[in-house]
Amino acid sequence: MEHESVPLYWRNIPAYYRLVAKRCKKCGEVYYPPVVKCTKCGSAELEDYQLPHEGELVEFTVLRSVPTDFLKQKPLVIGLVKLGPVKVLGQIVDAMPEKLKPGQRMEVVFRRVVVDGKYGLVMYGYKFRPRP
Amino acid sequence: MQDVWINGTAMAQTGRHYGLNADEMAARVLEEALKDAGYPEIEALFVASATAEQADKQQMLGAYIASRLGLDKIATYRVENADGSGGAALMAAAMAVRSGLYNCVGVVGVDKPNDVLSNQQQDIYSTATDAVYERYFGVTPAAQAAIMAKIYLAKYEYKYEDLALWPVLMHKNGASNPYAYMRKQAKVEDVLESELVSDPLRLYDVGPMADGAAAVVLCNKKGAAKLLGMWTSTSAIPFNNRPDYDVLYSAREAAERAYRMAGITPRDVATAEVHDSYSIFGVLAAEALGLAPRGGLLAALKSGADLKVNLSGGLKSRGNVMGATGVYQAVEVVWQLMGKSPFKRVDGSIGVVHSMGGVDKVSTVMVLGL
Repeated sequence: MEHESVPLYWRNIPAYYRLVAKRCKKCGEVYYPPVVKCTKCGSAELEDYQLPHEGELVEFTVLRSVPTDFLKQKPLVIGLVKLGPVKVLGQIVDAMPEKLKPGQRMEVVFRRVVVDGKYGLVMYGYKFRPRP
Repeated sequence: MQDVWINGTAMAQTGRHYGLNADEMAARVLEEALKDAGYPEIEALFVASATAEQADKQQMLGAYIASRLGLDKIATYRVENADGSGGAALMAAAMAVRSGLYNCVGVVGVDKPNDVLSNQQQDIYSTATDAVYERYFGVTPAAQAAIMAKIYLAKYEYKYEDLALWPVLMHKNGASNPYAYMRKQAKVEDVLESELVSDPLRLYDVGPMADGAAAVVLCNKKGAAKLLGMWTSTSAIPFNNRPDYDVLYSAREAAERAYRMAGITPRDVATAEVHDSYSIFGVLAAEALGLAPRGGLLAALKSGADLKVNLSGGLKSRGNVMGATGVYQAVEVVWQLMGKSPFKRVDGSIGVVHSMGGVDKVSTVMVLGL
């Protein structure tokens, strides 16, 4: 989409760059996306929790009909990856889709996500790739 | 509490209406529904639209639709739940009549996705995903539907060819519906040979976006059909952390509550219109409504069961009219119960609508009876 919002990007940098989730201080439940209140025990005491950067592929798809921001990168491989206590949905890179298999080891990499036109932001974030 | 009846219904043929503005298209259909109801005085208008701001740069659509018809001094509300806006607007309107505040209200659903290019349609549709944690990374509802389809097919040991039976049935149903967008039969081979959109889903698994408008008039006096039960439910679980991917939680909860309110069981359902924005969602929605056991709908299709689901052709054939979809479904179910052309009268007096926003985020289920 044209002209992404600077504050919207900036305030989500901890999640996009470091996969910062929330953990309930009382019962230990981990949430990604973060919650404002623990949905398991009801506690409002939550702390930042960095997700592990290695995990396991749950399932994936090769998306050929993409939004305008991603036309140059089409097709996109979209995968669901289990990172410790939660699953995370994101792009898979550096992989031949026909060689990907649910259950295989994956790792988090830091990549460019969206280039907002000639004068807009260059925005970054996590993606996944098979662990060598 | 007041009983709620559907007194008037109308819908426009779906497709590419390049010559009509959104407010004008909605106003024409609303006028038809009001005429069908015998021009009762409506006190409020509930407008369902998913794309008004993004495709047509218009907020507060209700006020402009009212202007086109001179409906001065009425209350207007815009209801938005992405492609589930129609069900949500019907629910809000029904509550307003049921409460006794209004005697008669109008509900109109309108969207004109063909006012933008197909890539921009993807941009708009992906705003139904989580903007920060999904859309930002290029995730679209199609990718999420594809992952659910993969998991469903593997879990119940189906082949993709089995899923292809859904679009074939939708095209068969929609071929005889003059209001539908894709009015042609399709064979399994057509589905298998169509281009991949997000594997395993192909072009024939995706409901094509179409312009459309549909309207109903709800009153507290007897009309064509009675609202027997209705419920809206969200599923608060993020896509990435769903325990199960082979079920629509929002549809299951909404159906259970709406059936309980109506005092019916799935056996009583003579016809159902479900939100098959992707073929897999049609399958999962029909299961959530109890029309087949969990994991069993494709087996029923394979064995040639005569399923009275999406006699309109569903989103696949009638078209995905985005926020207008739920209102179309309500009109279709009423016409199927009445036997109003182009629909043949179904064998029974109870019909169900399932309207869903996004990928199992919010569902509304409506039980209608003659």
